[in-house]
Amino acid sequence: MSNGHPIREEEFELFALGVIAGEDCAAIQAHVGACSECARKLAEARGRIALLSLAAPEQNPPAMVKQRLLEKVREEKSERVAPVRVRETRPPARWWNTIWAPAALALAVATVFLWVSDRRLDRQLQQIQRVTQTYQAETQREREIVKILTAQDTMTVSLAPMPQVPKAWASLKYNARMGVVCYTGDLPAPPPNKEYQMWMVPVSGDPVSAGVFMPSAFNEGRICVAKVPDNIPCKTFAVTIEPVGGMPHPTGPKVLIGAL
Amino acid sequence: MSRAQGAEQNDSDWSLLERVVQRDEFALAALYDRYSGLVYAEAMRILRDPGAAEEVLQDLFHQVWRTAEKFDPARGSLPGWLLVAARNRSISRLRRRSSRDDEELTENSVVLPCNMETAAARNQLLARVRAVLSGMADGQREAIELAYFEGMTHSEIAERLGAPLGTVKTRIRSAVEILKRALA
Repeated sequence: MSNGHPIREEEFELFALGVIAGEDCAAIQAHVGACSECARKLAEARGRIALLSLAAPEQNPPAMVKQRLLEKVREEKSERVAPVRVRETRPPARWWNTIWAPAALALAVATVFLWVSDRRLDRQLQQIQRVTQTYQAETQREREIVKILTAQDTMTVSLAPMPQVPKAWASLKYNARMGVVCYTGDLPAPPPNKEYQMWMVPVSGDPVSAGVFMPSAFNEGRICVAKVPDNIPCKTFAVTIEPVGGMPHPTGPKVLIGAL
Repeated sequence: MSRAQGAEQNDSDWSLLERVVQRDEFALAALYDRYSGLVYAEAMRILRDPGAAEEVLQDLFHQVWRTAEKFDPARGSLPGWLLVAARNRSISRLRRRSSRDDEELTENSVVLPCNMETAAARNQLLARVRAVLSGMADGQREAIELAYFEGMTHSEIAERLGAPLGTVKTRIRSAVEILKRALA
């Protein structure tokens, strides 16, 4: 036995030789049928054992054996060819086959063309739907901004920069019912893996996140919009530097701050 | 006449088999010329009957003709299969066992340890195997030849030779080891 296989190395040759009988023979046969490694070893053992046949005295078969064999195969060959001849003698194809065959071909080509075209239109439609959804969301956001900016009860708050961002500025429009619109400018890029996060600080309670934002790569102003927590009037607004994705509570340094 | 008739001597077994698949009887004839001597000698040694040996020989090559497309060279060699199938069929006839004349080319994968495609290689191998056998003790050679050419099991050989079963097993095992080492 070797490496979990029930056949010892020398048994492959003994099995190939045919001297193993009874249950041992059946067990080897069963294992070899299911184990490719042992099947390969057995094939090699069979090859070595087969060479024992070379010990037989040399004898050439009579020439007529080859002759008989070749006659037999030629006969079979001609029998195989015969049905083809029968097919060749069939009457010519009916006249409407000359119409049906091109028609079927044209139909197949048209089907493939329509299928390809259909797939292309499907893709275009999906793309248009995605663009439409983006425009709808953008339109909705702009409507909210306009509503906040034009409402009579909207208040303006200027956010002052902290010393580390002396040129930065932000103007914030606050409406207790509809939310805030904050327009920032001259904010430098935050440190790697950080974003700016805006906070609304209620009269009482912890600051509430108004969302994260990145300054424009071209140092343009950036608008961010956020809803005001229900029935919680805000008194102060701030922007901090936080890990990408934002934090539930402010953890980083303040860069802008302002109060009503 | 085949385009390549006369040049088959240099063709590999595999390329000849591919031509047999294409129904080229000259390729079959080339394979026959290459291996019929070995197959016939083996069948004759087992059967000791020329008529029966000729039948085995013809049937085997006829099967190659009919089912050449099933032969997978990755699983073994054609001469290996021919020698094993010739032995199996001859012993079946000799011992009047149910004959397996439908033995498939895909059955009994046989990997020969050497190439036998050229006459020089076959002659060299023949001399090597005979030298190995003549180097064995008489008891070892006798036991392994009874096993190979008469299809006897350990017990049958022990009975034929009137020798203890253990002795016969040892002789065969050591004869096999000698053969294995010599052909490694």
